[in-house]
Amino acid sequence: MTAPTTEKFAMGKSMKRKEDPRFLQGKGNYIDDINLKGQLYMALVHSPYPHANIKGIDSSAAMKVEGAVACVTSKELNAYNVGWLPTFHGLDKQMVLADGKVLYQYQEVAACYAETREAAYDMAELVEVDYEPLEVVNNPFKAMKDDVILRPDRENKTNHIYNWNVGDSSATDAALAASDHVVKQHVVFPRCHAAPLEPCGCIAEFDTMGRLQFYVTSQAPHVYRTALFLVLGIPEDKIHVISPDLGGGFGNKVPVYPGYVCAIAGALVLKRPVKWIETRTENLTSSFARDYHMDIEIGASNDGKLTALKVNTVADHGAFDAAADPSKYPAGMFGIVSGSYDFPVAYANLDAYFTNKQPGGVAYRCSFRVTEASYLIERAMDIVADELKMDPTELRRKNFIRKDQFPYKSPLNFTYDSGDYEHTMDVALERIGYKQLLKEQAEKRAKGELMGIGISTFTEVTGAGPSKHFDILGIKMFDGAEIRIHPSGAGIIRTGSKSQGQGHETTWAQIVAEELGLDPQNFLVEEGDTDTAPYGLGTYASRSTPVAGGALALAARKIREKARKIAAHVLEVDERDLEWKDYKFEVMGAPGKSITMKEIAFAAYTNPGDNEPGLEATLYYDPPNMVFPHGTYVAVVDVDRETGETKVRRFLAIDDAGTIINPMIVEGQVHGGLTEGFAIAFMQEIAYDEAGNNLATNFTDYLVPTSLESPSWETGHTVTPSPHHPIGAKSVGESPNVGSPAAFVNAVIDALSPLGVRHIDMPLTREKVWAAIRAAEGQAAD
Amino acid sequence: MNEIPVSIKINGKQVTASVESRTLLVHFIREQAELTGTHVGCDSSSCGVCTVLLDGDKPVKSCTMFAVMAHGHEITTVESLAPGGVLHPLQQAFWDQHGLQCGYCTPGMLMTSVALLKHNPNPTEHEIREGLSGNLCRCTGYNNIVKSIQQAAGVMSQAIPAAADD
Amino acid sequence: MKLEYNGEEQVPLAKAAVWDFINDPQKVASCLPDVQEVIVHDPKNFDAIVSVGLGLVRGKFKFKITLEPEEGGNRMNVKISGGGFGSAVDLLAGADLKDNGDSTTTLDWSGAATMRGPIATVGGRVLDAQAQKLISGTFANVKTRMAGN
Repeated sequence: MTAPTTEKFAMGKSMKRKEDPRFLQGKGNYIDDINLKGQLYMALVHSPYPHANIKGIDSSAAMKVEGAVACVTSKELNAYNVGWLPTFHGLDKQMVLADGKVLYQYQEVAACYAETREAAYDMAELVEVDYEPLEVVNNPFKAMKDDVILRPDRENKTNHIYNWNVGDSSATDAALAASDHVVKQHVVFPRCHAAPLEPCGCIAEFDTMGRLQFYVTSQAPHVYRTALFLVLGIPEDKIHVISPDLGGGFGNKVPVYPGYVCAIAGALVLKRPVKWIETRTENLTSSFARDYHMDIEIGASNDGKLTALKVNTVADHGAFDAAADPSKYPAGMFGIVSGSYDFPVAYANLDAYFTNKQPGGVAYRCSFRVTEASYLIERAMDIVADELKMDPTELRRKNFIRKDQFPYKSPLNFTYDSGDYEHTMDVALERIGYKQLLKEQAEKRAKGELMGIGISTFTEVTGAGPSKHFDILGIKMFDGAEIRIHPSGAGIIRTGSKSQGQGHETTWAQIVAEELGLDPQNFLVEEGDTDTAPYGLGTYASRSTPVAGGALALAARKIREKARKIAAHVLEVDERDLEWKDYKFEVMGAPGKSITMKEIAFAAYTNPGDNEPGLEATLYYDPPNMVFPHGTYVAVVDVDRETGETKVRRFLAIDDAGTIINPMIVEGQVHGGLTEGFAIAFMQEIAYDEAGNNLATNFTDYLVPTSLESPSWETGHTVTPSPHHPIGAKSVGESPNVGSPAAFVNAVIDALSPLGVRHIDMPLTREKVWAAIRAAEGQAAD
Repeated sequence: MNEIPVSIKINGKQVTASVESRTLLVHFIREQAELTGTHVGCDSSSCGVCTVLLDGDKPVKSCTMFAVMAHGHEITTVESLAPGGVLHPLQQAFWDQHGLQCGYCTPGMLMTSVALLKHNPNPTEHEIREGLSGNLCRCTGYNNIVKSIQQAAGVMSQAIPAAADD
Repeated sequence: MKLEYNGEEQVPLAKAAVWDFINDPQKVASCLPDVQEVIVHDPKNFDAIVSVGLGLVRGKFKFKITLEPEEGGNRMNVKISGGGFGSAVDLLAGADLKDNGDSTTTLDWSGAATMRGPIATVGGRVLDAQAQKLISGTFANVKTRMAGN
């Protein structure tokens, strides 16, 4: 018997990525690389006004452009009954093209179709729209006055969208009243954007059989297919969604954008394929993330024991309530705001409002409002420590949920699966040399230099999700996996997830290889094609490993059970006498008498005995609970007192993501997430001026960190497996983005604390930090 | 629209086509030469996913250069790096060091790196970071890209004397 | 972004002559710097096509202009709205006419412009100076043209 090859490459091994050779040679197949014969190009007309009535649209000049084919407005879409789309959770609807009025700047107003890309853009510039400007509501605090009603199309004539709350309000108030200390802080998580380097895009074609072939940058192809059926009424068998290689996603490629509907409508009516690729400006102005204005109150005793947590949030949802939130809770997983701490009682309340801003609320590398929650509690813990004159690590240590408290029922109704917060923090403090850093800081402070150490000991919640908590338009958030083993022991793996760079072609093969004792190099992983992949809700919210990964492991085990029968037949023993050991079936009590999966695979097609031939399995996995990754991040910064310049000197991330499939890929995910967290903390904001102008419409205004600003990341991990996940894995893609902003900001505020600075809202630009230093020094001088 | 003939030697092959004078070099490469490894990401020269080499060793952002400006010149794209499927030391290093995730920035990163190592075969980490600062990556956080270039620099500087000995 | 400007021009003509001038769309439009074309709809409404170059935003903007003379001939309000290339400009301007008693007239003007779209963001860095030039240029042209009559 040949030795199985899994030793080399399966679970826990830094196997090189199988997808890389094509990307490295420029052979990736991204949406704009796909061209269909006879395709038209589409360009959209956008509103320069954030709020205006549309008095008329004149496309006559546009139609004179050489190569012009058609110009479509809401009038035509309404005639086909596709003028409006239901939003993600089905609680609101949104315009495809502005219908009577525009509600935010850059809103889509008309779609131009032409023979060439250039002609389509020429057309878009020549469409004349007669706008009657209306008063702009550019923030939720103005919106809540209801002086201007933004959405007269809705039944309730108010800008208030919903109230959501969780926890025990009166018990929390009572506990706060009885506390020795109550610390309060207003914290804003600014509006930002996922901004993958590849913008969104699609090509729509109705083939000769009347079937929609829809190539699209989608993190959730199956959701799109069902959504298109629900929106357009096309039978699901007549819709084929193909999501090719994605140039990043980070949540941006979850929503169904108006441009997609316009491309499909154009393809249907014009009977030609229609291609639409976003410009960077379109990408940055069509959705957003975050934008929570939060007030936190934390009660504490004199000795640093936390007594109560209360959070009030005002959410700015923009023009439509189109948050990409599949949970049954309007504010998603915001209830994770009690974090890693054992609060006896807590209450969170949230009100959401319409404003004249772009709609969306995508979960930017985050499981639906987890980043806002995590940032808030981790930022607030430092403020509490400061007020109690405690070391922030000691305050955390004193209040951590202890290892023996899991499964832990949080006061905001989550059941945390597992964790060992104190251990992870100890590993981090030891590795960063916390005591030495404190000593260095004291010396620098004596000299008037500003050095800060920032800690974040976050807990996040991922793996959407259990059907009791989640659905999209009613569809439960399970995931399907299909594994087919060929006679040679090679195979094909298909799931409903969709990699955007996470490396599923590698890690999915590793999971299956580990379970079956086969060579991961011989597995083809296919995703993104709704004709072949089993149903699944896609990749976002760090759900692939918790859900699709679980489905894969269980499907592989199903194959193993069938393989046991074939093995019994081949070895002529009772299947109950077989034991799966060292990646092969061994006859118990007869060492040496064994059969590998490769041999069983061959037998499945050549000598299955009375068993059904073939070796394959399909399995749908509805996870019993979410998973709760955690970590300790430490940032060390130096702030230039004269210029406000912040330098992140060191950053250490110790993540606990449960079982690790591929350490190299995990480290890569952490590096990327930290860099995105760094960007949010220091440079990114979709800001609006008072006239409603969106001030971050391209990469010269919405900044992505370059190799020069980005710190060198130090990483490590502890492993606390999830008790309910088939392979004990949690997830890691989002942790660094969820956990790091607080570490950065805590470090900068710690640096400025000798001056009396208590809080600065992100992004901590040089200008803002400089102003805070000047203001603090000015106050000190008074 | 007035079309003008443009002829560019791309990866050693002369590509000639009549295009509108406003045709961007990146579109000429992707559509006339049918080489789709060169990408478009920002339309404003910020991201560098469209980086190609002009006349052998000068990285240019092909999304903000007209095709006519490259008329009579040579352009090198990512598709030229692995003749016969044998990876260039930089491609191999990006693979070994996990220097890519979604792969969208990778062709531009590679072309910038080729030019960087041509001009400075043994760059320091700071020189590498400075050299890459016109190319954005949203996935990797750059650590592993820097490591990739360091690996390739090592391999390539060893390979040169070995070749000279032959 | 919202920008506000004001200024004062001394015109060497009697107030009635100034009033006549600024009530004539063709004449007012001809004072806009870089005006390419004027289409008069009626004595109070006209369109003007103007060349604009602001950073990356370059090309022709189409403006709709409405004259709103106040009774008594002491004040003229002008509403200008339009744009191009995904940008929009809304301008409200007004001028008080003061008879100086020596056959000259003081034109005391002010205007507030709201800019939207790329003109405000991409062009924003140079917009203030450009808008100032445009508006003060217009009123300076009013003075020059009238003086030339």
